Amino acid sequence: MALRNAVLRHLRVPVQNLAVRGSNQSQIGFLGSIRAFSSHDDHLSKQDVVDRVLDVVKSFPKVDPAKVTPEVHFQKDLGLDSLDTVEIVMAIEEEFKLEIPDKEADKIDSCSLAIEYVFNHPMSS
Amino acid sequence: MSGVSTAAYFARRAAQKERVRILYRRALKDTLNWAVHRHIFYRDASDLREKFNANQDVEDVDRIDKLIGHGEAEYNKWRHPDPYIVPWAPGGSKFCRNPTPPAGIEIVYNYGQEDNP
Repeated sequence: MALRNAVLRHLRVPVQNLAVRGSNQSQIGFLGSIRAFSSHDDHLSKQDVVDRVLDVVKSFPKVDPAKVTPEVHFQKDLGLDSLDTVEIVMAIEEEFKLEIPDKEADKIDSCSLAIEYVFNHPMSS
Repeated sequence: MSGVSTAAYFARRAAQKERVRILYRRALKDTLNWAVHRHIFYRDASDLREKFNANQDVEDVDRIDKLIGHGEAEYNKWRHPDPYIVPWAPGGSKFCRNPTPPAGIEIVYNYGQEDNP
């Protein structure tokens, strides 16, 4: 949101300044990589990701919410089944509107891996 | 018989467990595709989980292979023709729709009027 406002502020220029801007080629090149009115402008903060992932794990019915920390392992610490891990990964996919390929999803075994994956994914929102 | 726990036996069991997990994941997604409303989805998902849990303790490797084959055939039979895929993922509606233009492409602001600036 802040990014979009910053870009819109940048675009509100009077007509006679355009010739001056046009000569500054590097600036235009940089602007070309920012897409105005794009819906890909939410870049999540790490704390946001951690909070949402922990909320998803805590609202799982077979999990005791008091034990959930950002480094907890689903099978070793929370005592879950491998099929439960699959369910949690699917819930995280739905929460962040991601599509995780099957091989990657199989490797996500703990909260820390999940948080890292979601945070580093460019399309998580 | 493969009652002896060799490395090959464990490797085979690990591969089977991975197949089961991937099959469960796809079957769950398909269940969500067919049953759009959450209360129906929860019911169907618990039925699916019961089916998987019923065969949880089988130890015979060949029987496990047969069961996984059965499961995959069932999954192929029930695949949804129009599954929900996240728009930016391959198969979704936004995939490759607006690729970022290659670097070096610039807009010429006074095209046709270079003579009178």
